Amino acid sequence: MNKKVFTLYLFVGPHLILFAVFIFLPTIFGIYASFTHWNLMNNPVWAGLDNYKTILFDSGSTFHTQFLNGLKNTFIFVVLSVPLLIVIPLLIAVALEHKKVKFKGVIQSILYIPGLISVSAAALIWLLIFNKQLGITGNVFGSTVAWPANQPYAWIIILVLSVWGGVGGNMIIYRASINGVAQDLYEAAAIDGAGPLRKFISVTLPSIRFPLIYTFVMTTAASFNVFAQPLMMTKGGPRQSTQVLMMDIRQLAFGSGESIAGMASAMAVLLGLVILVISALQYYVMNRNAS
Amino acid sequence: MLKRISVSQYLAYLFLIALCIVWAVPVLFGIATSFRSESEVVTSGFRLLPAQWIFDNYTNILQNTSTAPILRWLGNSLFIAVTHTFLVIVVISITGYGYSRMNFKGRDTLFFTLLGISFFPGVVNLIPSYKIIDALGWVNTAWAMIIPGLAGMGNIFLVRQFMKGIPNELDESARVDGAGDFRIYASVILPLIKPVLIVCGLFSFVGSWNDFLWPVIVYTDVDKMPVTAGLLLLQDIYGNYRMIGQLMGSAILAMIPTFLLFFFAQKHFLQSINLNSGIKG
Repeated sequence: MNKKVFTLYLFVGPHLILFAVFIFLPTIFGIYASFTHWNLMNNPVWAGLDNYKTILFDSGSTFHTQFLNGLKNTFIFVVLSVPLLIVIPLLIAVALEHKKVKFKGVIQSILYIPGLISVSAAALIWLLIFNKQLGITGNVFGSTVAWPANQPYAWIIILVLSVWGGVGGNMIIYRASINGVAQDLYEAAAIDGAGPLRKFISVTLPSIRFPLIYTFVMTTAASFNVFAQPLMMTKGGPRQSTQVLMMDIRQLAFGSGESIAGMASAMAVLLGLVILVISALQYYVMNRNAS
Repeated sequence: MLKRISVSQYLAYLFLIALCIVWAVPVLFGIATSFRSESEVVTSGFRLLPAQWIFDNYTNILQNTSTAPILRWLGNSLFIAVTHTFLVIVVISITGYGYSRMNFKGRDTLFFTLLGISFFPGVVNLIPSYKIIDALGWVNTAWAMIIPGLAGMGNIFLVRQFMKGIPNELDESARVDGAGDFRIYASVILPLIKPVLIVCGLFSFVGSWNDFLWPVIVYTDVDKMPVTAGLLLLQDIYGNYRMIGQLMGSAILAMIPTFLLFFFAQKHFLQSINLNSGIKG
C-alpha cells in the first residue's frame, strides 16, 4: 500500500467505519428484522410479511389496534404542532425585523433559550404550571381541570411544551432570511401603494420560499418522531389518547416482559416510510408551486 | 402613513412582550418554587414567590445519592457531552478534509451516497443500534452516548461546504513547501475552519446534553445514566406534591450547563444558523 492511499484511509476511513457500524448496518438490520420474529436476545426467525399483515390488516390483534392508535395520535400531533412551529416563529421574525422595535437581542434570547432546555426538565416545570393545586392555571386563571388527565387539555399541554421549546431554530432561520430580502423590492411595492400586509404577502413570503420549504419539511419530519413530550406530560393518557407511535415502538422492543422487537421493527419501518413519503410529497408540491 | 407605522410597531411590541412573558414565566416560577419550604407548599395558599427563600430543597436533593443521585447524573452528562463534542470536532474536521481536499476516484459519489443513506429516518435503526451497543458491551456506559452520534453526516456536510470556500492556492503553496496532508490539515485548514467547528461543537454539546429517547433506552443503571433520563425517574421519586421543591430544584440544576453555554457563546448560537440557511436556502 503506498503512502497516499494510506493517508486517504486515515482521513476518510475512521468515519466510514463509524458510518457502517452505527448507521448503515442498523438501518439494513432494522429493515430485515421487520420481516422476522425476534426477541432481541436470540437470532431473528424469518417470518416473511407476517408482522406487516398483523399490524395492517388483522383487526383482532392488539398490535393492529395499537399501531392504528399510535399512528393516529402521531398524526394529530404533527397536524397541530407543525403549523404552530412555522407560523409563530415567522410572526416573531417579522415583528423582530420591524425597524422600530428595540431590544431585539434580549427578546430573541428569551424566546430562544427554552430550546436549550432538555424536554424532561422543561416538562417537569410545565407540569407544575398546569398543576391543579400548585400551578398557575389553577390559582391565577381559576381552572379546575386536571390537565394531563383530560382531553383536549392533555394535547394542549403537550403542544404548549413543544412550541415553547421549538420556536427558536426556525425563528433564527426566518429572521436571517427576512433580513436578506432586498430593500428595493419593498420600496417598489410601496410605490405601488402596498400596505404592510400586502408587502408581507407579495414580497416577504415569496422571497423566503426556500427557507420556508426547508423548515416545513424538517419540522414535519421531526414532529413525526415525537416521543418525549407525551411520555413526560401524560404518559400516553388519558385512555391512550396521546400514546404516540414512538412510545409503542419503545414499549414493544424495550418494555417490561419479553421483547417483541420484530413487530416493533415493522412499526418503525412503517413510520419511517410515512416520514419519507410525506417529506418527498411536501418537497415536490411546494417546490413546484414556488417556482 | 405615520399612524400606520406606529400601529404596526405597537402590534409588534404587544405580540413580542406577551410571548416573552409566557416564555419566561415557567422557568422563573420553577426557580421560585425550588426555594419554597415543604410546609409552605402544604399549608399556605398560592403565592407567585416564596414566603421565605430557603435552600433546603437543594441540600436535600444533593444528599440523595441512592435513588436520585443528581450530582452523579450531572457529572455523567457533562462527561458524555464534553467527550462527544471533542470527538465530533476531530471526526468532522478530518473527514471534511478527506471529502473536500483529497482526490480519489468516486469521492463525491461516495459522499453523496452516504448523505442519502443518512436521510433515511432514524427510527428504523433504533432497535438494531441497541443490539450493536449491547454486543459492544456499552449498555449502561458513557460510550453508548458518545460514539454512535459521531457517524452522522450533517456536520460533515457543513464542514465540507465551508472548506470549499477556502481557496486551493493556500494548500498548494504549502504543498510546494513540502507539507503533506497532515501538515496542511493541521496548520492551514484547521485554523481557517474554526468558525464552523465552533458552531457544530456547540450544537453537538446541546444535542448530547438534551438527548432523551436514546438514554431512556440504553440506561437502566441509576448510577450510570445522564440527567435527562434521570429526570424521568424523578416523577416517581419526588412525585408527592409536597416534594415539588425538590423536583423543581433538580430540573433547574439540569438546565444550568446549557444556559451557561448560551450565555458565553450567544453570538455563535444565533449567527450559526445563518450559515445553515445560507447554504440550504
